[in-house]
Amino acid sequence: MSKKIGVYICECGTNISDRINIDRVIDEISSLENVGIAKKYGLLCSPAGKKYLVEEIKKEELTHLVIGACSPREHEQTFMKVCLEAGLNPYLFQMVNIREQCAWMISDKEAATRLAIKYIRAGIKRVTLHKSLEKIELESNPDVLVIGGGIAGIEASLSLAGPERKVYLVEKTEALGGMTNKFAQLLPHQGTNLSIIKDKIEQVNNNEHIEVLTSSTVKDIHGFLGNFEISVTNHEQDSETKEFKAGAVVVAIGFNLYDPKEAPAYGYGEVENVINALEFETMSSTGKIVLKNGKPPAAVALVHCVGRKEEGYCSKTCCLYSIKFARILKDKLPDVDVSEFYQDLCLPDKSDQNYFEEAKKKGIHFIQSDEIEIKDINDRIKVKYKSAEGKKEELIVDMAILASAMVPSQDTPKIAEILNLPLDKTGFFKEAHEMLNPIATPIEGVYIAGCALGPKNIPDSIVQSQAAAGKILTTLVPGKKLEPEVKTAEIREEFCTGCQTCLSVCFYGVISFDEQKGISTVNEAICRGCGSCVGSCPSGAIKIKHFTYPQLYREVLEALR
Amino acid sequence: MDKDFKPNIVGFLCNWCSYAGADLAGSNKLEIKPFLSVVKVMCSSRVNSNLVLTSFLWGADGVLIAGCHPGDCHYEKGNYYARRRFALLKKIMESLNLEPQRLQLSWVSASEGKRYAEVVNKFAEDIIKIGPSPFRKNQNL
Amino acid sequence: MKKQNVLIIGAGVAGMEASQLLTEAGHKVYLVEKESLIGGQTIKFEEVYPNMECSTCMVSPKQQEILQNENIDLLLLSEVKEVNGTAGEFKVKVKKKASYVSLANCIGCGACYEPCPVSLDNYFEEGLTKMKAIAVPCAGALPNVPAIDAENCLRLNGKKKECQACKEACMFDAIDFSEKDETLDLEVNAIIVATGFDMLDLKKLPQYGYNQKDNVYTAMEFERLYAENGPTEGKLILRDGDTPKTIGIIHCAGREEQGYCSAVCCMYSTKFSHFLKHKLPEAKIKEFHSDLCIPGKSHQKFYQEALKKEIEFIRCQDISVEKKNGSLQVNYQNGNIEKNTFTANMIIVAPAMLPGKDTKTLTETLGLSQDDKGFFATKSKELSPVTTDVEGIYVVGCAEGPKDIPDSIAQAEAAVGKIMNLSQGKNNE
Repeated sequence: MSKKIGVYICECGTNISDRINIDRVIDEISSLENVGIAKKYGLLCSPAGKKYLVEEIKKEELTHLVIGACSPREHEQTFMKVCLEAGLNPYLFQMVNIREQCAWMISDKEAATRLAIKYIRAGIKRVTLHKSLEKIELESNPDVLVIGGGIAGIEASLSLAGPERKVYLVEKTEALGGMTNKFAQLLPHQGTNLSIIKDKIEQVNNNEHIEVLTSSTVKDIHGFLGNFEISVTNHEQDSETKEFKAGAVVVAIGFNLYDPKEAPAYGYGEVENVINALEFETMSSTGKIVLKNGKPPAAVALVHCVGRKEEGYCSKTCCLYSIKFARILKDKLPDVDVSEFYQDLCLPDKSDQNYFEEAKKKGIHFIQSDEIEIKDINDRIKVKYKSAEGKKEELIVDMAILASAMVPSQDTPKIAEILNLPLDKTGFFKEAHEMLNPIATPIEGVYIAGCALGPKNIPDSIVQSQAAAGKILTTLVPGKKLEPEVKTAEIREEFCTGCQTCLSVCFYGVISFDEQKGISTVNEAICRGCGSCVGSCPSGAIKIKHFTYPQLYREVLEALR
Repeated sequence: MDKDFKPNIVGFLCNWCSYAGADLAGSNKLEIKPFLSVVKVMCSSRVNSNLVLTSFLWGADGVLIAGCHPGDCHYEKGNYYARRRFALLKKIMESLNLEPQRLQLSWVSASEGKRYAEVVNKFAEDIIKIGPSPFRKNQNL
Repeated sequence: MKKQNVLIIGAGVAGMEASQLLTEAGHKVYLVEKESLIGGQTIKFEEVYPNMECSTCMVSPKQQEILQNENIDLLLLSEVKEVNGTAGEFKVKVKKKASYVSLANCIGCGACYEPCPVSLDNYFEEGLTKMKAIAVPCAGALPNVPAIDAENCLRLNGKKKECQACKEACMFDAIDFSEKDETLDLEVNAIIVATGFDMLDLKKLPQYGYNQKDNVYTAMEFERLYAENGPTEGKLILRDGDTPKTIGIIHCAGREEQGYCSAVCCMYSTKFSHFLKHKLPEAKIKEFHSDLCIPGKSHQKFYQEALKKEIEFIRCQDISVEKKNGSLQVNYQNGNIEKNTFTANMIIVAPAMLPGKDTKTLTETLGLSQDDKGFFATKSKELSPVTTDVEGIYVVGCAEGPKDIPDSIAQAEAAVGKIMNLSQGKNNE
């Protein structure tokens, strides 16, 4: 089919025409092969300019369009819409930057004109190699798999389930609630009793659009955004396997507590009445706070930051819950002496400081110390510490409660493998983008909420679950098809040697290896079009649409002319 | 050093950071020497060895690859791969008897208009000092 | 799914995130922003912690998407004045100030700035430099279209009615002095408040010696000082013409007075140290803090790397700054030493994060309330941190309380989730 390229050069008022001899550019390029028409125009991005272009494309029956004007970052989208309106495939168009990167940076008019000619020639040669690219539409399943029935999983399920969207909530234990099942109470600024959470669990159980699969674990997940295939095993019922499809996955598998036995200085497991936070929660929910000998403690030490140095991060919640424990102790045993040993007081929420000030008023002591050692002494506990003045001090107590670091759930590596999710250096799941996309992952359609992503408190877990719902509800709209990236990579089977280098560089898990054929394949539905695979392929088997080697090569040739 | 020597430099700029930085340099009307032609790619990792070596074989006096600063890559890791490839390319150039300084990798962020202009101008100066590429006579375009 | 109209107040990172997601789902957004540019406070930073990522590079693709999104009605120089009705049917009056420059015609060439005879303090640059009455406040601002400050423009404030220097310099007929302020009537189904934060005025805490004459800088002033597109082009030239050699960074300014920790200052102060060490390897830097609030999973590593670079962190109290023999002296108490001093030629102070200036007015307009710290009150006690007492109105980001960028974005996404459910008649507040 013969090509007819229309080349239009924008004067940009006088911004370009002042600094480039546009007439000369037109002269030089209008006789190039395939160029049907070459004109200049005052301001192409204006409403009149756009109308003019639509008319020109139709009138001249152009097969390709080249526009020499400002940066494509400004107006490539504008002119692509113009192409669509005129019935021309928007990818048969090349926008050439002769303003920011040419006219505006070279004051010598002659030199600027020469560069503009080079660039327009490059644009013309490149565009002849462009292929029509069509938007792809994919069916998608609106249902969602939520892994983990703790507070994050519960909130995600409630936020997502509806008449047009089923939620499968998979929980490995017998009951929903996660770690909150061990708590006696929450923090006042979170509501002092757990009834809110119990209500939510009831809502989940009564919701006809949520299928709760307790005593179950995920066995396998295949597929991609909109089209995941999932199998779940129930380990109570003879490993019965259930298979179903979903469009998105929310990972909410929560956390574990650091084992204080790994830091022998704290005496956990060696010294009697040294317990960790969850053990104290359980104890206080029975209503009786007692030592191993059945008597109530006269003095208690709450030790923060256990495992902080070893794990390398602050667990954000411990200062608050330790203060909560101190207040519970004071409530239940009014004469008890309570001391909190901390490295830094982490009180980031706006109402946390009030909570701390009130604790101080109740006579709870707060002692800053970077080094703590716990030893037993005559049926009691000696807490050895270095004071802020640098002196070695000791405090004798009856019970020590350790606020251990929050560490990733032990199921994290398994889920990471099933879903091809990266972990960061702390062992928690890694976000797609730490700043701008904090609950998504590099794998499209898979989100993480709650402590599976890192230590946080209940309100923050709830926000993240709702955020996951926000992302999913806006991406997987029932009835709406998915429109993935168009400029994707594709692998030519005949050239692929099966080295899998491309697989190793793809951050998005888009490439998989076909064992049978011995070649790699790209899932174009989730390809982001970065080209890392193309760059690394030793046999040139991968090409990326709209940035193919011949297209770039043409630009290079013109650059070197 | 030939004062009339006008080098031909190809610059591969990534769409997200360095191309934006170049645009900003333009918006600020910073002057650059007119020896560099920009070829836009989505990510610096797209620039495979073939593209670089072909540029040189066709007579490029210098090749500049510009991408996002480490840690800022729009696609997370692309610029790290570009850096690795760049190290390898230097070695290949040596074996082709091509001065490795003719290839440069620079990180330019979207807000570094000034830096872009400085990088381009310094590179142009350096190439002028090194002189025309030994492959220039291949040019028969 | 019924197409919703959503009003989003504030075009910072939270507002932009919510706008983008809602339009992806097919809804329409009215994005109301009181300034003439979008991006909020994040675009004032050169780098963000913990990866020292270039802030403008990070945000500019988002800004571009907002500007090119046909389903977002971007209303700049606008403020919400009146809201009536209930969830699903809010009637909103928005006052849109005239910018006198046409967004459609202006191509951002900047020819109009130079001839303008008026010079005023540049609010974006924290007053560290001046700008004209017609200008974009910084290079790289989006949209790259200036607005005329009517109060200071000689023609518009009546002081020199014949002045039209800017109009004469414009080749695109983009300037129109006859443009008037407008009032727009909008009907929306839901509202997201994303109005961000302000910072405590250090002049209220005289112990820090902040007088805008000496080399004592607020955190925001320092952000601009080190920005490449800022008043010193990142060259860190101090008020007295010197460059930083010994630097004291003081955390927690106003913490006691305000009654809460501002959550982000320890981290951004450490960011400052990292940057300063990188730029000025010989500089001596000390950070003065009460407690270190570094709760993110990658935050402690960031702090430990600062320690490795010989940046000293001193736990202390009773911090004050005085001018002594031409230098600045930090006085502090730590351990058992009553009075310690540190002499510096530059001090950076991290002030408390406050609710945005218009919080009180906006709470009245929207029928919301402020909590005891002055931020927008939400149902956080009922474990619903982005919902308010008014159904259909949500508060996200720093408008709700001090937090960093990822948390603001998560809240924005959560509010979007709530609105998506509301649009399907599902109420699970």
